[in-house]
Amino acid sequence: EETITAVHAFPETLIYTQSFLSFVDMVNEAGEGVIQIDVLGGPEAIGMFQQPDAVRDGVVDMVYTPGSFYGGALPEKDALVASNLTAIETRENGGIDLINEIHQEKMGLYYLGWFDSGVTYNLWSVNEPSVDEDGNLVIDDIRLRGNAVYNAFFTDYLEAQVIDLPTGDVYSALERGTVDATGWTQIGLIDLRWNEFLNWRIEPNFFSTDLGVIVNLEKWNSLSQEAQTILQDVAIEHERMSVEALRAKRDEDFAALEEGGMQVFSLEGDARAAYLEAARSTTWNRMRTLMEESPQGADNYDRLIELFYDPAMD
Amino acid sequence: MALLTRLYDRFVDAMALIAASMLLWLMVSVITSVLMRNAGIQPFAWLFTSAEYAILYMTMLGAPWLVRKKGHVHIELVTAVLPATLRRLLSRAVAAACVVVCLILTWKGIDLVATNLERNDFDVRAYFYPRWLLTIAFPISFGLMAIEFSRFTFGRDLLHSGEAGIHE
Amino acid sequence: MEWYEALALLLGAIVALMALGMPIALAFLAANIIGAWIFMGGERGVALLLNNGLGALTKFALMPIPLFLLMGEVFFHTGLGKRMFNAIDQLLGKLPGRLSYVTVLGGTGFSTLSGSSMGSTALLGSLMVPEMSARGYKKKMSIGPILGTGGLAIIIPPSALAVLLATLAQIDVGALLIAGVVPGLILAGLYIIAIFVMTRMDPSAAPAYEVPRLSVGAKLALVMTDVVPMVGLMVVIVTLMIIGFATPSEAAAFGALGAILLSVVFRCFTWEAMKKSIHGALRVTLMAYLIVFGSATFSQILAFSGASRGLIGWATGFDLDPLVMLLVMFGVLLTLGMFMEQISIMLLTVPIFFPLAISLGFEPIWFALIMLLALEISFTTPPFGLLLFVMKGVAPPDTTMRDIYVAAIPFIACSLLLVGLLIAFPNLALWLPSLG
Ligand code: NA
Ligand code: NA
Repeated sequence: EETITAVHAFPETLIYTQSFLSFVDMVNEAGEGVIQIDVLGGPEAIGMFQQPDAVRDGVVDMVYTPGSFYGGALPEKDALVASNLTAIETRENGGIDLINEIHQEKMGLYYLGWFDSGVTYNLWSVNEPSVDEDGNLVIDDIRLRGNAVYNAFFTDYLEAQVIDLPTGDVYSALERGTVDATGWTQIGLIDLRWNEFLNWRIEPNFFSTDLGVIVNLEKWNSLSQEAQTILQDVAIEHERMSVEALRAKRDEDFAALEEGGMQVFSLEGDARAAYLEAARSTTWNRMRTLMEESPQGADNYDRLIELFYDPAMD
Repeated sequence: MALLTRLYDRFVDAMALIAASMLLWLMVSVITSVLMRNAGIQPFAWLFTSAEYAILYMTMLGAPWLVRKKGHVHIELVTAVLPATLRRLLSRAVAAACVVVCLILTWKGIDLVATNLERNDFDVRAYFYPRWLLTIAFPISFGLMAIEFSRFTFGRDLLHSGEAGIHE
Repeated sequence: MEWYEALALLLGAIVALMALGMPIALAFLAANIIGAWIFMGGERGVALLLNNGLGALTKFALMPIPLFLLMGEVFFHTGLGKRMFNAIDQLLGKLPGRLSYVTVLGGTGFSTLSGSSMGSTALLGSLMVPEMSARGYKKKMSIGPILGTGGLAIIIPPSALAVLLATLAQIDVGALLIAGVVPGLILAGLYIIAIFVMTRMDPSAAPAYEVPRLSVGAKLALVMTDVVPMVGLMVVIVTLMIIGFATPSEAAAFGALGAILLSVVFRCFTWEAMKKSIHGALRVTLMAYLIVFGSATFSQILAFSGASRGLIGWATGFDLDPLVMLLVMFGVLLTLGMFMEQISIMLLTVPIFFPLAISLGFEPIWFALIMLLALEISFTTPPFGLLLFVMKGVAPPDTTMRDIYVAAIPFIACSLLLVGLLIAFPNLALWLPSLG
């Protein structure tokens, strides 16, 4: 029986971590006698932002983390961020295989799977949003909390005054009014209790989460064929299952939020299209610029966009 | 040799001076950023990021100077009960162990900088900042700390006083 | 390697190295190298150790410590602090131990809002201890109350740590914050009783020197000139936090700037005093941050090696009476707290302790409050509590380890008494949230 060690980027109680841990359980059941995953812990064992380096260096064999935590080394992760598809379609059309190839080439990592995909982001606000005569969001009076994932969008397009805050500080910042709006994924708001202060969800939603499992390539290659097959098959199975599970969770969360008084504010028509277009293009621009600066160049750029973005879906 | 020592000492002092200016920069950058925000102006993101980096630079660049000042807090328990000869021996041995620790970290620090350069690593916050510009602080700091601790290993002055208590 | 072997090795290494007289920060780093080498696969583990250090030392949350230190040092070196305390002395007349009471009251008011116990210890330590020593107070009367106020900061809202704990445990943040109010006030009351008893038992600990009697008018003038401006600065900082002008981390910067501006207004600004203040703040910051580097990484190696998880699993694996289990969990938190930083401990223990606590029939909010108290107590527990080292850094040079330990004990006892009260009367915590 072979064993690989694993750590996860987020605390154990977070929903995304729970999703990963259920994947681990599935592997350990299917892999009995062949392959087992030994989870060593979360950010308390290896710092959140140090985990990608740790798996690259072989300190740990497997990491579950957003690609954005190693975006400096792999700007192509923005294809996932700006995607309007899920792992189900991109597994089929070869998008994930391409991402895997890029991981192997650039970082010496095997990209096992894109989990919890299909969860997207919204802007959430304390006060009722307002729009100008063209229907565009008025951002002047909003104190918006930013972070590395969506700063390009918030500052370049919305021209917002972004206040960078760690997740842990957002609750008190909302409480005191230091910020009165934030981007966040569709789910998880209730776990963080930010819904105590936020009253409006702004539609349309944008982006996608980019959580994935990366494995040290040397370790991967050292595994038996049988172990590799089990890991890959279970990962593909979990890619599909997690999309469905989190969609259900999203509907549940939205219902609970609505129950608690959360209201929806929708941008319409051209304003809506421009908003979505800006979220995507600012992110793609960032990706292209960084790819061009890297020794491998931007040859994959068009193909990534073709595989991870379907105009018909908007 | 005396000149070299003096030059080296001034160099360590200069780094402490940089550390002190980083401390002041923390104050200046935070105040500027808060005032801008409350005046309704988008604060420069580098104000925030540079403050975070300043904490690292301050700590690492100031650490060797603090070794010389015996400012890194330590506990005297065993050294307080030993006879003078043994105490001196132990004190030098502890300083030597510190040298070893610092040398290992210097060596791996150099490795880390080389890796960061080779992989073209960036620290991603508001900006893409080359990682080696941060990690270079490690070999410099621990290298100089090794020198400072070796002064307590071989020099006249001892790290420990022989009085029980926490010392710094 | 079994978890207890890993635990024995890592803790043994650090205790031995510290006892032999290795600087605390270096002892942590040495133990980290040994641990990284064994558990993280040799050399590459040491590179990760440095990377972790980079992560630990580029956090905005560390900001308040140097800036609150600078504020305290400026108060001290420019003589502003002396002015204020002379005035308070004259106002309060002959009350024995009056500055100790002032520390508890002022410290409570301030640290409840700052929420960073390292920051508030740094500020109060550099502000109060030198002034109180100059007035003949024994160390236990100055250091003890300051170490105690950290415990108040963590349970009286707002408290960043309480928010994080509630988020991790997925319990009601608001309820946990409100639950801390009554116990926090009780704790402050216990501190005041402790000071009163201490001044009775050892009158020389806080000398009751004569102060000139002042007319009401003179007192009023004194308040306006020497107390209002300095206390006003604290009020301004706190107000900035409350109205959302600045986050608690940012407010420290305004404190430091405010102290400098006050010294200019009061014509006691000198470049010499500025130099000394920066020098003092820098020394303590560097000392504390290198320990943060070492201990944050040490926490991770304890977790990575399975040592801490093993300890938790073993300790919680017994099938014992709920009260005994509570004490076991409390003991685990205190033990980990001596070597690890608070956030890592929460990340590790919450997923195990909360389900267990619920299965034992504990009210989660009440349990979270006990957990916060355990974390704060461990922060000031001899021999390795981090606040003790921060205190050593800011206290006058003749302060010994014994002084600090002895000073901490009565106030730790107060916190333990509060835990006892909470166990006996859970409604002390639960009554207030139940109203809302
Ligand atoms: Na507080
Ligand atoms: Na501690």
